[in-house]
This record gives sequence, structure tokens and C-alpha cells, in this order.
Amino acid sequence: MHRSRFDSGLSTSSLTLAVPARRLFFFSSSYATMDKMENGLRSVDTGSIRTLSSSHIDDESSLGSDSEINGFASERQTDKYGFIGGAQKYSEDTAQDIPTAVLRQREVKWLDMLSHWDKWMIKRFNKVRLRCQKGIPPALRGRAWLYLSGGKVKREQNQGKFQELDSQPGDPKWVDVIEKDLHRQFPFHEMFVSRGGHGQQDLFRVLKAYTLYRPEEGYCQAQAPIAAVLLMHMPAEDAFWGLVQICEKYLPGYYSPGLEAIQLDGEILFALLRRVSPLAFRHLEKHKIDPILYMTEWFMCAFSRTLPWASVLRVWDMFLCDGVKIIFRVGLVLLKCMLGTREKLKACQGQYETMELLRAIEPRYMQEGFLVREILEVPVTARDVEREHHIQLKRWKKNRGELNFKPPPRMHGARIIMLAEPPRRQDLQQNPTIVLEVPQTTPQLQKGKEEKKSKKKKSMKKSQPTEEIPNPYPLPSDPQSSSSELPAPPPGNSVMPEAAAQTETDSVGEQKTPPTDLPSAKESTLQRSTQSLSSTEQDTYL
Amino acid sequence: MGSDDSYNFVFKVVLIGESGVGKSNLLSRFTKNEFAHDSRTTIGVEFSTRTVRIDNLTIKAQIWDTAGLERYRAITSAYYRGAVGALLVYDISKHLTYESAERWLKELYDHADPHIVVMLVGNKSDLENLRTVPTDEARDFAEKKGLMFMETSALGSTNVEAAFSEVLTAIHTKVASREVTRGSISAVTLSSPIGPSSEAQEERKGCCRS
Repeated sequence: MHRSRFDSGLSTSSLTLAVPARRLFFFSSSYATMDKMENGLRSVDTGSIRTLSSSHIDDESSLGSDSEINGFASERQTDKYGFIGGAQKYSEDTAQDIPTAVLRQREVKWLDMLSHWDKWMIKRFNKVRLRCQKGIPPALRGRAWLYLSGGKVKREQNQGKFQELDSQPGDPKWVDVIEKDLHRQFPFHEMFVSRGGHGQQDLFRVLKAYTLYRPEEGYCQAQAPIAAVLLMHMPAEDAFWGLVQICEKYLPGYYSPGLEAIQLDGEILFALLRRVSPLAFRHLEKHKIDPILYMTEWFMCAFSRTLPWASVLRVWDMFLCDGVKIIFRVGLVLLKCMLGTREKLKACQGQYETMELLRAIEPRYMQEGFLVREILEVPVTARDVEREHHIQLKRWKKNRGELNFKPPPRMHGARIIMLAEPPRRQDLQQNPTIVLEVPQTTPQLQKGKEEKKSKKKKSMKKSQPTEEIPNPYPLPSDPQSSSSELPAPPPGNSVMPEAAAQTETDSVGEQKTPPTDLPSAKESTLQRSTQSLSSTEQDTYL
Repeated sequence: MGSDDSYNFVFKVVLIGESGVGKSNLLSRFTKNEFAHDSRTTIGVEFSTRTVRIDNLTIKAQIWDTAGLERYRAITSAYYRGAVGALLVYDISKHLTYESAERWLKELYDHADPHIVVMLVGNKSDLENLRTVPTDEARDFAEKKGLMFMETSALGSTNVEAAFSEVLTAIHTKVASREVTRGSISAVTLSSPIGPSSEAQEERKGCCRS
């Protein structure tokens, strides 16, 4: 754990020799080293990482391939979440490994829920919550998040909006600040490591779009990590709407000028701590440690910069389901673990020492299994949060006057968000871009069917096991399948392969006719994929 | 608490300035001799320490760093509390970051101790060919405002040591010469000082009081 104060990392000369000059951008007199602590772990790899400057956009590559050229493959291992060199996780063996069979089962259940989202959310939300608590299966996480947050509905109800915002140049003041930040979000994640790469481009697009969508809010730096986490799971447009929902429904006012909401939540956290860990509370009080000194990054980034990645994902699964109380609970768990016993406090004599302790949370407390269990045990409800909010707001007004920026009321979870703005049926329609061949019999959208696992976000469609599965993408030279007529595509943006020229419009099940403003099915693949090229390419290992 | 257990003073120094000027890298360069092209944006508060010797005294410098973006100024009063020194950083290749120095000074004097030692720091001096802030102009401005001045490069390690050392020395001078009344600069002593300063002995409380 100890690193000598003047660790020099790899020397520049060894790197210069190995790499073609045009691909590298470096300074002769210095070296780049990995950022200090990423998520509780001082990286095992203390060597250097070069920032790749992509002058050739098509030449842009994830660090992995370049490092293999340089022979640094072992140091540049990308973990299953896309992080390089051990950043943002604790260790391999503490990650919870779900058996594949269980994962498959969960996927089936989630697909079912997603296909009947409104029913599940209204009538069986407890089950949805339980499944979120268990962890959303990686293959469906992006889609589930979009549905949970209400981003899906927002997107459907605002078709074309993101494209409109995307096409505008943006306020130069915000554009400038955002650009400065692009290479400073998760720089050790392969999606964002390349300057000017697709990940950074998409991050720019999403953040810029937000400043146009809410010009009175503009850009706040903590929005970038939020957007980045979303982008790791879904394409830019979806990430945009996810960001909108988080900024407006889950954490309203967090990113507004004045940062009043985050300060208030700091006071709420502190007040709640009194009940959860009186010892920790008294210690923080005694040393006059303002909540803003430790909880700012935690809350504003929803712990994405604090916890090992597996834990981040679990927390977000629950956060998007149940709202900010999850964030409060995580904070309370960490405070209790680090400051909750006399023994721990003995080592912690002053303000500075305390803050150092809170900045270096012991990995065992952040480990996925432990953390989730603890979160579920914390006796803090949404009502508790609201009650304390009321109290702290009164105090604020007394001491500091009216709030300058009055945010809309906070929504405590996915169900409340949905009830507040009930979606139309078509808003919840899933739109797979790859349609698997389905036999003549009406496909049942219920449980008990097999499905193929697919890495594409919107490409799952259930099919019954058949003896012969015709090739949906036959080449002109391939023999045609026996069934010459392919079934009707679901409405929306589904795509028929070029060889199958017939596009049916009769519906199957409860589907409706496609909206008229969509391009014809044949063209839509290409249009879609260039638009979201980066995102499908960036499909992560989730 | 670390290997540097015996020190006479703890000086809290804050880094302020626009987003992207290099505060975090000045911090890491000084306290850890590290620089990262892609360090993360600072959200909330970062800090680090380094112990230096000045005039036979051991001084623990507690350097604090926070986000530079305008709206974060709303949450910085806790950040300034107890600070005895400040480095007001701008980027020599971005004139706008220098122009906001005036605003930052106001911010500083609104929240921090009136006797706080301030140095104006023009960072990224390695970008000489992209310079937009002439050295003389900045130096004159600093003089006029009673600030110290230096140009640094966190990347190249140029003058970083010097900048911090000068600030720490100036703080120490102020404290030692008792130029200020006891209460107004809350420099903290943690052990009996090697030097004279009986005042410092009286202040001994055994814990950080920032």
C-alpha cells in the first residue's frame, strides 16, 4: 500500500523506443502516472499511462491494442467492466460471481418485466425492487436503467429532441468547460481513455445537449461522471434522457448554480447519522467537520468515484429503483464503518485525520456483498429523508434566507416517477434492432421460453426453439429458407435484413403500427447504426 | 499518522483558481511528485500533506484543493476555514483564467483570514508558445495587490517547490514575527517548538483545529 513519495514510474526513454511517434503525444521532460487512489485502491500498476491523442479518429483504439504493441499487455489488462490496470475495483476474488444458469434465469425474468413494464411497476413493484436489490443482469442493465429512470418514456415522448439538441453548437461558455473535462472522466476506462475518441465524443454530446435543454442550469462538473456511467451502458440519446431524469427527478438541484441542494443533503445526512451511529456523529460534530467536506463527491457522483465498480453497479441498480434514500444509506454505512467504534476513533485525533480516513474507506466495507447487505439494513426510509429535509430547510431559511434555486420536489424512486407521469403504452415498447426468425405460430411473450443471449442492447426477441432457424441475413448466393415470408416486425425501429424484402405491417400480439416519421425499415439499420455507431461499438462487457 | 510525526506547525494552504488551470497537479506534484495528464476533475475537496523544514522548524503543509467551477464557490467556506496561505492559480495560456483573479481574491477575502498569505501562480509555464499572459503584467498586478508571484509548471516540475516553499516561509515569518495578533492566524502547534515562540507553546492543544 505504501508508495515511496517520489515514485518515478516507468522512464520515458523505454516508452519512446517502443511506440510509433505519430500515435503518441508526450512531453519530453515528464511522465504521466496513474492518478493517486482510484476507488479505495492504490493501483497495483504504478507504471505510466500515455494519453493517446487521436489525430486519426479511425485510428483511435483502446489502450489495450497499443499496449500490446508495446509489450505492456499484462499491465494494461482491461477488466470485465472496461477499466484498465486495476482501476476502480478492489480485487478479483471479492467480486460476486453469479452462476451462469442463475444469470440466464434472471435475464428471462427481467425480459418479462420489461415487456410488461407498467403492470410490473404498478402491481408488482416489490418484486421489481427485490430483483434490483439482487443486481440487474449485466446484459440488461442498460435497458433496465433506462426503464427504471423513466428515461425510456421521456425518449419516446420526445422523439427527435435529442437530435435537435445534438445538432446545435451550444453556448461557447459551456462548450469550453465541458471540453476541458472530457479527458478527466474515468480516464482509466477504455471507453474514455482516448482523447477525441467515441466515448469522449458521446460524453460531450450528452453534456452539451443538457446545457441546451436546461440553459438555466448549464453544466456542473459532477454531471460528467453521471453521464459517463450511463454511457457505459447505453447509447448517447438514452444516456441523455437518463441524465435528465437523474438531474430532475432523483437528485433535483444537485447540479444547479449555488449547489444548495447538495449542502442541504449534507445536513440531512449528518442528522440521520445521529440515529444510525451516535459515535460517528459526535466525532464529526466535535471536530467541526462539515458534511460538505466528505459527502460532496459521494452524493454528486452517486458514489461512482468512490466504490469499486461492482459495488457502483449494485448501488445504481437500487438507486434508480428506490431513489436517493439509497445514496443516503450508502453514506451512512461508510460513516458508520469508518467512524463507528471507539477503537477507530482513537486513531483519528483531528479534523484532518478524520477526513483522511473518510477518503480512504477500507475496501472490505465497499465490497459488493457486504455493502449491499448493510444498505438493506439501514433503518432510513424515504419518509425519514423528507422529514429531515423539512427540518433542515427550515433551519437554512432561518440562518441563510430563502433558497436561490428552488428545485422541484424529489421523486423517491422509479414507481413514483412513473405514477407522476404515466406513460402511454407505446412509450414502453421495446424496439429490438435485430429480429430473430420466428415461426408462423404466434410468439408468446411469456415465461417459459428460451432466448439467445445477445450483447446488443435492443436486440432481444424471444423465439421458440425450432428445428430449423432460417438465416436472417442470407447472402444473395445463399439458398432461401423454406419459409419465404418472414413475420411482421414489431413496430418502431426494427429492421428487416435486406434480403428479406417483404415488410409486413400486420401486427403480432399487441403491437401497433409504426410511427409515420420513421424511415422505412430497410434504411433504418444504416441510419441507426451510424448515429449510434460509437455506442454499439462501445457495448461493454456488462 | 505517517512517518513525519514531529513537527512544530501545521499550515493549511488552499489552492484556488478556475477549472483546468492545474491546481490538482500542483498539489500532486508538490506532495507526491506526481503529475497526471488525465487526473480526474476535482469534485468536492482533495487534500494532501508534505512536511518541510524552514529555518530549523519542521512544518507540515496541509494543502487543500477543490473544484474551480464557478458554482462550487458556494460550498467553499468550510474549505477556507483555518487557511493561512493560498495559491491563486491561473493558466498562462488562457487569459480568461487570469482575468478572474480579481474575483477569486474577493472570494478569498470574503471567506478567509484577512492576513492570509497569497501567491499568484501562473501555471503551465511549459506552454511558452501558447502564452497569453505576459509575465510582467501578472507580476505588476500581484505587486499592486500585495501578492507574491511565481510562474510554475506542474508538468515540468518547474518552480513548484519554490512556490510552496516561499508561501510557507512567508506564513512562518508572519506567525513568528507576531505581526498579527494571536487569534487571527490560527496556525497550530502540535508539540513544543524547538525555537523560542512562547505563544506557540500556549496554543498547544494536541489536535488539529483547522
